[in-house]
Amino acid sequence: MTAVSVDAKGDRVFAIALALAGWVIKFIAVVLVIATFNFILVHAAPGDPAQVIAGQSGASDEKLLAQLRAEYGLDKPYPIQLATYLKRVVTLDLGYSYRQQRTVASLILERLPATLLLTATAFSLALLSGIILGTLAGVRAGKWSDTVLTVVSLLLYATPVFWLGLMLVLLFSVQLDWLPAFGYVTIGVPMTALQRMVDIGWHLILPAVSLAAVYLAIYTRLMRSSVLDVTHQDFIKTAKAKGLKQGRIIIRHILRNAMLPIVTVAGMQAGALVGGAVVIETVFAWPGLGRLIYDALLQRDYPVLLGVFLVMSVIVIALNLLTDAIYRVIDPRVSVRAAS
Amino acid sequence: MIDKTLLAIENVSISLPPGADRPFAIEDVSLTVNRNEIVCLVGESGSGKSMTAHAILRLLPDRTGVAQGSISFNGNDIAKADEPTMRKLRGGAISMIFQEPLSALNPLARVGQQIAESIITHTKPTPSKEAVDARVQELIRDVGLPDPVALARSFPFQLSGGQRQRIMIAMAMANNPALLLADEPTTALDVTTQKQILALVKKLQSERGMGVLLITHDFGVVADVADRVVVMRNGRVVEQGTVDEVLRNPKDDYTKSLIAAVPGARSLTKADRKITGEPLLDAVGLNKTFITKQGMFLPPRRTDAVQNISLGLKARETVAIVGESGSGKSTLGRLIMRLIEPDTGSVHFDGKDLLSQRGERLRQMRRKIQIVFQDPFAALDPRQKVGDAIAGGPIAYGTPSKEAMADAKRLLARVGLQESAANRYPHEFSGGQRQRICIARALALKPSVLVADEAVSALDVSVQAQVLQLLAELREEMNLAMIFITHDLRVAAEIADRIVVMRRGEIVEQGETQKIFQNPTDAYTRALLDAIPGRAMFAGPGARQAEVASA
Repeated sequence: MTAVSVDAKGDRVFAIALALAGWVIKFIAVVLVIATFNFILVHAAPGDPAQVIAGQSGASDEKLLAQLRAEYGLDKPYPIQLATYLKRVVTLDLGYSYRQQRTVASLILERLPATLLLTATAFSLALLSGIILGTLAGVRAGKWSDTVLTVVSLLLYATPVFWLGLMLVLLFSVQLDWLPAFGYVTIGVPMTALQRMVDIGWHLILPAVSLAAVYLAIYTRLMRSSVLDVTHQDFIKTAKAKGLKQGRIIIRHILRNAMLPIVTVAGMQAGALVGGAVVIETVFAWPGLGRLIYDALLQRDYPVLLGVFLVMSVIVIALNLLTDAIYRVIDPRVSVRAAS
Repeated sequence: MIDKTLLAIENVSISLPPGADRPFAIEDVSLTVNRNEIVCLVGESGSGKSMTAHAILRLLPDRTGVAQGSISFNGNDIAKADEPTMRKLRGGAISMIFQEPLSALNPLARVGQQIAESIITHTKPTPSKEAVDARVQELIRDVGLPDPVALARSFPFQLSGGQRQRIMIAMAMANNPALLLADEPTTALDVTTQKQILALVKKLQSERGMGVLLITHDFGVVADVADRVVVMRNGRVVEQGTVDEVLRNPKDDYTKSLIAAVPGARSLTKADRKITGEPLLDAVGLNKTFITKQGMFLPPRRTDAVQNISLGLKARETVAIVGESGSGKSTLGRLIMRLIEPDTGSVHFDGKDLLSQRGERLRQMRRKIQIVFQDPFAALDPRQKVGDAIAGGPIAYGTPSKEAMADAKRLLARVGLQESAANRYPHEFSGGQRQRICIARALALKPSVLVADEAVSALDVSVQAQVLQLLAELREEMNLAMIFITHDLRVAAEIADRIVVMRRGEIVEQGETQKIFQNPTDAYTRALLDAIPGRAMFAGPGARQAEVASA
C-alpha cells in the first residue's frame, strides 16, 4: 500500500531539500519568538541598568538617571525597544554591555568554549556510560549485577548536583590531592599548547563527572527498560530462531532499537544540560556562560543577559534539529515516511 | 524408506513457573512429523500448540522448560542438547516462521541484510559478499517476490503483510531446512494473501521434501494443506490422524465441536426473514477522504477511504459489509453512525436527516445506533465495573440508576453471564465473556441498529459460534437491524441477510447472501470466495447439504 519505490532517489533528495527549507524557516521563527519572550521577561523584573549604574557611581539624582536612560535608549516605549532589539538580533548584533564596556558578542565568545567543553564532555560521558550500563542491566535483568546498577543509578539520581560536586572535591582534591578543585586551567605557570590541553583536561574531570551524574542515572534506567522492552519483541525471537549468538543478538538487534527512546530524551536534555551547567560552573569556578549569566543578573546587565539567553536558545534549537536528523538516520521509518 | 520420521516428540511436558494457573503448559504430548509431509497442529488459544512448537527449538519463555519427555530430530534427542548444538539447528536444519510478519522482522534493518544474516550464521567459512547477495536474491525469487535487488534493500515497513511473510519464509529457507515450524503464519493476513502464502508453503515443502509443522486455529487451513492433523486442548493431544480421518470422521467430542464451529457450515439465518418496508437507515453517496499532512512543503497524502457509497438497511435486517484490510468497511460503519463526518453524502435514520441534527436531538438519535468493537480487551475500561459500564449509558439518558442497574443485570443474564458479573472488573473475564459484556452494553440503550465491527474476529471458533448464535437470537428478540462488518465471508454467510462486498473504498457487489455465494458476478467476489480456507470442506450455505449427502 505504502510501498515506496527504492529507485525514487531524485524525489527523495528533493523531499529532503524541502524538509530542510522547512526547518530553516521554523528555526528563524522560533528564535524570534524566543528573543521576544526573553526581552519581556528581562524587562518584567523591577529596576533597570540605569539605576544600577547610577547607584554604583554613588550619584543617584533623577537628572543623571534620565540622562543615562536617554543615552542607552531606555526611555523609549517598550515596543520600540523591542523592535530595535529584534532588528539587531536579525543582523546578529548582540549589543554592548554598559557594565563591562565590551561588546556582548566578545564576552560570550570568550566564555562559550569553556561551557561547550564542559557540557559536551558531561553529555558524552552520561550518554555513553548510560547506554552501556543500561544495556548490561537490561540484559541481566533480575540478576545481582542488575540490582547493583539499579541501586547505584537511583542513588546518583537522588543526589543534588552541588552536593555531589562538593563531596568529589573533598575526596579527590582535599583528601587525595589527585585532581584540581576548581578553575579551568592552572594560572601563572608557563605551558606549551599540549601541556595546556592536558591541564584543562585534569580540571575538567570533576565538574564533568558531577554534571554527568544525574543524566547518567537517567540514561541507565531508560536504556534498561528500553532493552527489556525490545528483548521481548517478536523479532528478537526471530533472531534467536536464526541461530544467532546472544552477543550478536544484543549488538545487531537489541541495541539499535533500544536506543530510539534514548535519542529522543537525550536530544531534549542536551539543551537543558547547557542551562544546568550554571550550578556546576559556580561550584567549580568554571569560567563559562553560567557564571556570565549569574554576574549579569546581579548587575542588571540586560544586553549580556539577553545575549546569553539568545545564544543558549539557538544551541537548544540546533540540538533539537540535530536530534531530528539523527533520528532519521537511525530509524528509516521516519525519513521515508516524510518522503513517500 | 520414503516416510522416515523426521521429528518425534514423545511424552513431552513443559513446566510453568510456580504460581501459574496450572503446573504444566503442555502435558504428555506426543506427535511425529515425517519427511515430506505437512502436519497441522490445531487448537484454540491456550491449548499449548504454540508452546509445543517453541519447545522443539527451545525458544520457550523464561522460567519454562521441558520437564519430561524426549524430542528427537533425525534420531538425536535434542531435548537435552547443549546450547551450541541448538544454535546450529536453529535456522539451520530446523527453521521457524511466526504469526505477525511485521513485528517478527527487525524494523531498522533492510530485509536483505536480515536474510543474509541467516546465511552467514550457518555457513563456514564465511562466504563472500557477492555469494551471499546472490543467494539472498535467489531466495527472494524463490518465494515469488518481484525485483529481488530492490526488494532486498527495502525495510520491513515498506512491504505489505504478504510480502513480509514471504521474506520471513525466504529467511527460513536460507539454509535448506529439513523441518519448518510455522506458527500461525497466515492468521494476520487477508484471505486472498493467506491463500497465496499457504500455496507457497506447500510448494516449497513438496519441492524440497521438507517436513512442516503448521500451527493453526483454523480447520479450513487444515483441510487445505494438511497431510496429518494433531488436535490439542488444554495442553494435551486429544486426537490425531490423517486429515481425512479427523475431518470426516472425528472421534473426540472436542474435535467434533471444533469442526462444527467452523463458520459457514451452519446457517443462523432463515432464507426469508420477511424483511420489507422502507429502509430504517439510508445512506446515499457517502464519500470520505483522509488527508495526512506531511510537513510544510510536502503535499499532504490523500486516502480515499470511502467513495460514493450508498447503503440501505431495513428494520430487522442484517447486512454484512465484507472486505479485506484497507477496503474502507470500518470507515463506512463509522460514517453511518456519524462517529466521523462524511465529506459529502447523506444519512437518513428513521426518515430524519442524521447529519443535520445537533445537540439533544442528535443525542437521542445516537442512542438508537450502537456499536460493538473488535477487541473486547480494549473496548472496556479496565477500572470500571462491568455493571457500571452497562448501566452508564441508560443513566446518561435519564434512567434512574437503580432501574438501570437492574436492567444491566438482566442483560448480563441474557447474554449468558451471571448477574453477579455486574460487580466485577473486565480483567476477570475471558475474551468471549468480554464480548458478551460489550454486546450487553450496546443493547442496554435499546438501539434499533447495532453496528458490529469485526465483533467476532478476535474470538476462538467455538466462542465465535456461540457469540454469533447469541447475536442471531437477540436480533429477533429486540427487533434489531445489524450492520455486520467482517473480513470473513464464512461468518457473513451465517448471520447476514444481505452481503455487501467492498474493495478500496468502493462496493464491488451486493446482494442476498445465497446469491453472492452461489452466483457471484464480480471477479473480486469470486476471488474472495475462492480464497476461503477449506472451501472444499466447508462451503457456504447450501453446499453443506450436498457435502453431507455425498459423504
